Amino acid sequence: MSDYENKPINIAIIGLGGQGVITLAKLIANTSFMLGKKVCYNEMHGLSQRGGSVQSFIRINEADNPLFAATDVDFIIGLEKLETLRYLYLAREAKPKVLVSNRYDIRTTVDLGLEMFPESDDIDQEILKYSSDVYIFDALGFENSVKFKLKPVNVAVFSILTTFPELGIPSGKAEDFVTEYLGRNLILKQINKKAFKEGPKWLKKVE
Amino acid sequence: MKAVDSKTDKDVVVGEGEEVQLLMGNRAVVQGLLEAKVGLTTAYPGTPSTEIQMQLYKLHKKGQLYFEFSVNEKVALEIAGAAALSGVRSAVIMKHVGLNVASDPLMALAYFGVQGGMVVVVVDDPGCLSSQNEQDSRFWGKFSHLPILEPSTSQEVKDTIVKAFELSEKYNTIFLVRLTNATSLNTSAVKMKVVEEKLTKDGDFFKDIRYALPARYVLHKGLHANLDQIKEDEDIKAFNVLKFEDSISDKLIITHGAIYSIVEYMRNLNKLDIPILKINAIYPLNEKQIVEILKKYKYIYFVEELESYLESNILSIIGKYNLNVKVFGKEELAVPEENRILPDVLTEAFKRIATDPTNEEVFKVKIPAPSAYAHVFGREDQLIPRTLPRLCDGCCHRGAFYTIKRATKKTDIIPSDIGCYALGQVYPVDVGDFWLCMGASIGTAIGFSLTNDKPVVAIIGDGTFFHAGIPPLIDAVLYNHNITVAILNNSLTAMTGGQPTPSSDEKIAKEQKQLDIEKVVRGIGVEWVKSVRVEDVTENTKLFREAMAHEGPSVMIFNGECIVELYKHSLDLGEAPYVDEELCNMCGTCFIEFSCPSIIKKDGKIAIREDTCTACNICVGVCPQAAIIPRKKKKV
Repeated sequence: MSDYENKPINIAIIGLGGQGVITLAKLIANTSFMLGKKVCYNEMHGLSQRGGSVQSFIRINEADNPLFAATDVDFIIGLEKLETLRYLYLAREAKPKVLVSNRYDIRTTVDLGLEMFPESDDIDQEILKYSSDVYIFDALGFENSVKFKLKPVNVAVFSILTTFPELGIPSGKAEDFVTEYLGRNLILKQINKKAFKEGPKWLKKVE
Repeated sequence: MKAVDSKTDKDVVVGEGEEVQLLMGNRAVVQGLLEAKVGLTTAYPGTPSTEIQMQLYKLHKKGQLYFEFSVNEKVALEIAGAAALSGVRSAVIMKHVGLNVASDPLMALAYFGVQGGMVVVVVDDPGCLSSQNEQDSRFWGKFSHLPILEPSTSQEVKDTIVKAFELSEKYNTIFLVRLTNATSLNTSAVKMKVVEEKLTKDGDFFKDIRYALPARYVLHKGLHANLDQIKEDEDIKAFNVLKFEDSISDKLIITHGAIYSIVEYMRNLNKLDIPILKINAIYPLNEKQIVEILKKYKYIYFVEELESYLESNILSIIGKYNLNVKVFGKEELAVPEENRILPDVLTEAFKRIATDPTNEEVFKVKIPAPSAYAHVFGREDQLIPRTLPRLCDGCCHRGAFYTIKRATKKTDIIPSDIGCYALGQVYPVDVGDFWLCMGASIGTAIGFSLTNDKPVVAIIGDGTFFHAGIPPLIDAVLYNHNITVAILNNSLTAMTGGQPTPSSDEKIAKEQKQLDIEKVVRGIGVEWVKSVRVEDVTENTKLFREAMAHEGPSVMIFNGECIVELYKHSLDLGEAPYVDEELCNMCGTCFIEFSCPSIIKKDGKIAIREDTCTACNICVGVCPQAAIIPRKKKKV
């Protein structure tokens, strides 16, 4: 961990409205802050709640400015494949580490025949072209395993992030934060707890 | 809790009664208001300023201070202005376009000055992430004769608010504090005082001949004299800082508070040893202070978001004092005059700042605006498909849109308004032709009906109707203008996250009265008025046609509930309806015309996504074959 202490770690979280992008950013930032680190983050608001693209940028070891150039990104966390590719394409020079969910939503414009839609496998190939350090989170498998209407994908991803030492988020602290701050009632707390435990099981490194 | 000082890398010293927290810029505004002991606050909802208002609303419900969601920004400013004239510290919160609405009382109130401190917080939205236009509120300073401060980080936001109240009282003038969607939505650590006391709004208004004076140009003169004093104030000067003063360079970058952090980041990323003049006191600018700094440099680079405010103002100072410097502005650095400034936008500008300033050719090159869509898969024709925003799954407006679509022809003119329902214009819902500003749907509908021989339908939400839709409706009644108005009533301001409107019930806002839109409309004198539920699409279509056939103004009120609000009360709204495959003839009405995202094509058949469907069941009434069969729906 000490190797990374001074250089800011630039993280981009990319997804669609309603997936919990901003909550995930809050989880990462607040846990880092509780551990005594400098941290700041940005939320992109707009039509996010309505299925538009949502991005959040976090910098650990930097106090004031959460916004960074795409070519300076260290870690991309993508909760949806196509949005991830869109950002990764801009960031391709940085050769970032990529954690991408296998979730892939059909866009309305494509459904109605207005735009061409790439095949899921093509997107995978394209992602691998721009980064050699790719991890895939089986969000579909995870969601199917959750027997509840709400699928806390962001909590599962947060749990996965504790296994990346460069982020310096110990699993214990992270879990404390999830149970303490997330979830309005007991059922939600239980679901989050389960998601936190199960999350890392659905991760696969692309070799 | 431990926190690290960003400049010294040492632990922040936290005194008694203080703490360090991660705060979004918007929350830092509220913290500043608390520390400045502001007793009265008003606002009208508007992203990106909404978190300020929601937090104040919470504090009001706790009884710590007075806050209200006023009916519009003009009223909000008038309430706060009268409080400040009564010696009470007051604040008004709004987005940039809100200040247009509030500008009428603001311009005249500036003449009177204030007794208690008064701050107007205005949040700009470069890039129009959720607005009808971009505006650079820095220009309000000179126009309204009011000082403007523009902080950079959450800590600066909080400190600036506190300082603005001190200065407001020192000079008896309103202060504007300008944030942008970057400062307001960035979260960083703030050292702050814990304020738990109840803040008072008790004041005392002293009558003064000035307030009733007809010859107000006399007061106008006083304003300029006051501004001359303000710009000499040491506290004001201290808002403008020369950063990296020790850099040995003949170049100087000048920028403003909102994007300073990004400019500093780009300077460091490009390893440029160039100082930056950071201007946080946007208006009035102190000429002497700026001249003293400029004297030390040969090449001046302006990096600004939106308009060239500093560039043009400082150029006139350079001309007046005959300074021998070479200036590089928006044009020379290829910094766009539109959209947000993000680090990537400044790549070219910093390349140019780094080059030899005497090589004039470099600065003449025009660069094309970057394409919004990435080309991937190595093919020019394969773009990444766009992700269009859309109405939520289960949005009650979809029922109203479907009704209007059925009752109108493609050639009919349909002006819409500001709110979630503006998304009705996005294909494939595709209802609404025109979109201007708050309340404009009814006013423009009148204009269109007078000049076009076509039916005209105005679409307006409940919040927008109360905000600015009533006067044009009165106009329609007065002159019997032949328009039909569809009021889409979900009883809250949905677009900004569910703030109360005058038609909100006690479930949303306990502390206010509920106004009945139908009664208001009838009270104005509209003769054809119907209030309906959104689900009855077939019956509603018949009624809507009747409304359109009516000579003179007619109003139909579509009532429904915001699905996001329903989810706040229950996570389980019921089971999704299903499609009876025997009955479905694949006509596409539900899929294309009604266009709910939960209705999908799967294996060549129409299906309903159970994971996203909210069981609003509006589609049940839409299907001409009655092939969509409802299941259990829960009452919330």
